[in-house]
Amino acid sequence: MTPESAPITEGYAPRAPFRDELFAEDGTPRPPARALVEALARLGPEGLVAAGRRRDAIFLQQGITFETIGEEGPTRERPFPLDLVPRILTGAEWRTLKQGLAQRIRALNHFVDDVYHGREIVREGIVPWPLIAGRSHFARAVHGIRPPGGVYCHVAGCDLVRDADGTWRVLEDNVRTPSGVSYVLENRGAMARLVPDLFSAYRVRPVDHYPQLLLAALRSVAPSADSEATVVVWTPGPANSAYVEHAVLARQMGVELVEASDLVVRDEVLYMRTTAGLKRVHAVYRRLDDDFVDPLEFRPDSLLGVPGLVRAYRAGTVAIANAFGTGVADDKAVYHYVPEMIRYYLGEEPLLQNVATYLLGDPEVREHVLGRLGELVVKPTGESGGKGVTIGPSASEEELERIARRIEAEPERWIAQEVVHLSTAPTATHDGRLAPRHVDLRPFAVFGERIDIVPGGLTRVALRDGSMIVNSSQGGGSKDTWVLEDGEPDDRAEARLPDPLPPALPDLRYGGWSGQAQQQQQAAGPDAAAEA
Amino acid sequence: MLSRIAHELYWLGRNLTRAEITSRVVDGVFQVELQGATEASPGVVLGWGELLAMLGDGGDAGAMDRAEALERLTLDPQAPTSMRASVERAREGARTVRDVISADMWEAINTTALSLRGDDTPAWLAPAGPYLACQYVKERVALVWGLSDRTMLRDEAKAFLDAGSYMEAADLVLRMLRIAFPPGDDAAASGQALALLQAVGGFQAYRRAVPAPPNARPVARFLLFERAYPDSVAACVDSVHDALDGADTSPRNSEPVLRLSRLAADLDFQRRTLPDAAEIGATCEAVQQELARVDQDIAERYFAGAQAGRRTTVVEI
Repeated sequence: MTPESAPITEGYAPRAPFRDELFAEDGTPRPPARALVEALARLGPEGLVAAGRRRDAIFLQQGITFETIGEEGPTRERPFPLDLVPRILTGAEWRTLKQGLAQRIRALNHFVDDVYHGREIVREGIVPWPLIAGRSHFARAVHGIRPPGGVYCHVAGCDLVRDADGTWRVLEDNVRTPSGVSYVLENRGAMARLVPDLFSAYRVRPVDHYPQLLLAALRSVAPSADSEATVVVWTPGPANSAYVEHAVLARQMGVELVEASDLVVRDEVLYMRTTAGLKRVHAVYRRLDDDFVDPLEFRPDSLLGVPGLVRAYRAGTVAIANAFGTGVADDKAVYHYVPEMIRYYLGEEPLLQNVATYLLGDPEVREHVLGRLGELVVKPTGESGGKGVTIGPSASEEELERIARRIEAEPERWIAQEVVHLSTAPTATHDGRLAPRHVDLRPFAVFGERIDIVPGGLTRVALRDGSMIVNSSQGGGSKDTWVLEDGEPDDRAEARLPDPLPPALPDLRYGGWSGQAQQQQQAAGPDAAAEA
Repeated sequence: MLSRIAHELYWLGRNLTRAEITSRVVDGVFQVELQGATEASPGVVLGWGELLAMLGDGGDAGAMDRAEALERLTLDPQAPTSMRASVERAREGARTVRDVISADMWEAINTTALSLRGDDTPAWLAPAGPYLACQYVKERVALVWGLSDRTMLRDEAKAFLDAGSYMEAADLVLRMLRIAFPPGDDAAASGQALALLQAVGGFQAYRRAVPAPPNARPVARFLLFERAYPDSVAACVDSVHDALDGADTSPRNSEPVLRLSRLAADLDFQRRTLPDAAEIGATCEAVQQELARVDQDIAERYFAGAQAGRRTTVVEI
């Protein structure tokens, strides 16, 4: 069956100028995607719709949901929208991405260290000091503290997009508390159960070792000399939208999931309250912002914090991942300087490009930007999750007017970026047919003794036609992301059983099943017995 | 194990058992009510008002009709006494401890709550009475416990889950007995008490264990002292004791474990020595107060003083 005649892709065409991830410009599947498109054609629209229904039922049952705020206000639980058409990255593409990300994260880590110590980069005149000090995530309280191993950004996730010409660009760095990795794990599990047929012609690199990587990294930075380090995951609580993720990570790492009320600091040492009294904690993977962690040092009105935690951290009795104050490196204004950081700290050329960004503090730049507001994307610097983003080409006159006034009032709080032509990927619509939707990619890196990046990452997809906002809080979904073991078609072997079958158990001659098996082998003839 | 998690598990056990026992008593009372009282000796009366009082919602029971009371005990999401509210509370608790209980258990609890929320559940009540809804909850809770036996690690977590469950069972049986035998009411104490057995689903067990007809005194003794019957107070006290004894690192110094040992011995002693004519209500009251002290001790020793039902404040950020 040729892909052109397959009904599921009928009428599917990449929309210029956007690049499509699975189809070339002429509408034929790219070589690595050919087998996938054939498998989808075998499944057909009905098969895809049916699998979608099964998916929703399973997700609801397992509680893999997120809460949306309905029209009337109250939250509604909905199954996480996983699109059943995977996205494919070849081994070669992934290697480039991986190196670029590792380079970037290393540079960001250097930057955080520098900001809270020597400030060399400021002295060199590369990044202006007022810009750093004026960031809301700059944490004076942790000045001069160097965590074990000099690692600040233990967990990082960079948002990548692919431009019309196929180059990867970094849209955003997340080095505070990047979320979404549990969806990478859940998506893969769900795909394998719902549409196993799609996998049949591929060897997809696994992702399920992420929790073990994270645990190893946390253990490696934990200040525990004598015994096995106690690691905990710290969640703001069940009302947090990412609570499911916190619970999944804690469960898969086999560590406790704690809330603020479980933690207490005594004499600069962190403990948790257990049924057998207080127990020392060596490393905390925290999933809440700096602002809330310690009412004595940060926001005094935080109910979610542990008084004295920063003091314990300063005393070096506990490792915190990510370290306090890393937010200064994922600010959207600091983002502009990351390529410079890579050159300065590592002496290398950046492997991944930034999106052209304008800082609006400079009057000339501001003038230029305000003149072209309709062609640019405007973002607030300190926000995440797609909040407050205005996309020039799709905004109304009034919206542009309003944003221009806000920029003039507080230019430092905003940045402008050139519009990126986010690539598209075929995505199942409600009737099971495919349509191009815009996607990005968030790979997750773990920085312990070295940097490990789980193959692939979270592909987020804007489920509304034409929309470029992929955040799940704003109607985005996700896709399973496949990194192929190798991009070459020759390496895509048919699934086969591993080649020598394991031998029968030796030296177990009597009793039970193995004894019977041996008898059968003997009955089968001397050759079979000799092989066993 | 974290105190907060232990506390949450304890209440998960309590809520599950509460949902189950509620479904049993509602079903039992509905059947008894339908048929009217036996003519000879009225004995113990257990109606909707008594039931609401037993579950702690007796305030305006007098002004309610049967359908309203039924709704309030089964599927009303607002009434804290309803089966559905218990299941919802269990689900909230299970959500918090989903990394501790097995995934199978969480899914069973979650789907139970979700289907009780479903649009077709009111139709369960209308033509058929509470049977369908009660049966569903009974089966689902049994499923959860079955899964916990098969899939959950037999560690501290299971111990606190079990402890909560048996505490709740003991508490509810004691409440029922105290309401059925108000102080000074001889008529109740000498009549028949089939209703009580039907309410807890223990009629068959009683018939097999006790040769006497189901009259008030032997039934009350059965529900209080019969160790072989799992929902009897003595059996529940034993089970709570065993659970905590296994979970505690030094049970010999543990206030709740010691108190439970004493209570278990005391119940055994009373079983042999309590005169037949003794007032049942008073005995129950003494046991209930002792159990309240056990509950307090448990909170202090294991839950870092966390109070019943009070959750830590959570703020969306």
